[in-house]
Amino acid sequence: MEPSNEFLRGTLKTIVLKLLHERGRMYGYEITQDVKERTNGEITLTFGALYPVLHKLEQEGLLVTQSEEADGRLRKYYSLTPIGTATAHQKVSDFERFVEAMQILLSPCEPPKLSVSMA
Amino acid sequence: MKKLTPQQLSVLHNHLIRNGSNDVLMGELIDHLACEVEGYLWKGYNFELALEKISAQANAKSIQYLRENYQRDLAMTDEQLQEATLDDIVFEFRNKAYGAYELRQSYQSTLRTAFFMGIGLFFMIVALSGGLTAQKWSFSSPLMLLWGLGVSCVAYAVWNWYLKNVGFDEELKTN
Repeated sequence: MEPSNEFLRGTLKTIVLKLLHERGRMYGYEITQDVKERTNGEITLTFGALYPVLHKLEQEGLLVTQSEEADGRLRKYYSLTPIGTATAHQKVSDFERFVEAMQILLSPCEPPKLSVSMA
Repeated sequence: MKKLTPQQLSVLHNHLIRNGSNDVLMGELIDHLACEVEGYLWKGYNFELALEKISAQANAKSIQYLRENYQRDLAMTDEQLQEATLDDIVFEFRNKAYGAYELRQSYQSTLRTAFFMGIGLFFMIVALSGGLTAQKWSFSSPLMLLWGLGVSCVAYAVWNWYLKNVGFDEELKTN
């Protein structure tokens, strides 16, 4: 969890929006489990990181919540608003472009041939 | 699927309170931890052992981290602060659904209703007792004026109360 934490911070919104876009309606624990399963435990969302993001997105009007009573406790389901859906598309495509750019940066490239120009 | 009993849920609730969890997140966090405990029960742990595992993960430090994160991310912006009432500021990050926020919000109108109701009833009693001692009723007497004033104050208070407690409900139903 520790090494991925730093990279996770900026992408958490994108992950949450993408998952909700696919699954429609989820609650907090379900989101953490889904992320864990899909990435084979490589990425683990802690509740400390997840809930502030969910509430922030709700405050921004991207998510709506429904509370349901289940087994004597209140479960809060999140789903996308129309603006949320549009933002999900936008964020995912932005992030894909970012990943492509990162891949270019990370791939080894040939060092410039300085000797030719020096001569 | 194994489900937690109300007693076990209250153990989780106490754990969260002891470690300083945010009011506004309490319900969700209980559900979150309960799901995790149930996951452990499913794997064959007993409740005490599962609780130990959960407590190690949801310890004071991580709950504090959540609290700080939350307060930083969801703090009111400067524009919101300009428009916020004292109630909004006091109840930021607190559970507004619990009822105290609602009570404070309606305090002004409750006070007005109570004030007019009290004054009105007082006038009516004074006018009535004055009339009873004088043993006669005349429409032009100051006592009658006081009586009329009292009745209108009470009527205003009742109307105010009706608008707030009954009228709104019907408005909601039609929407």
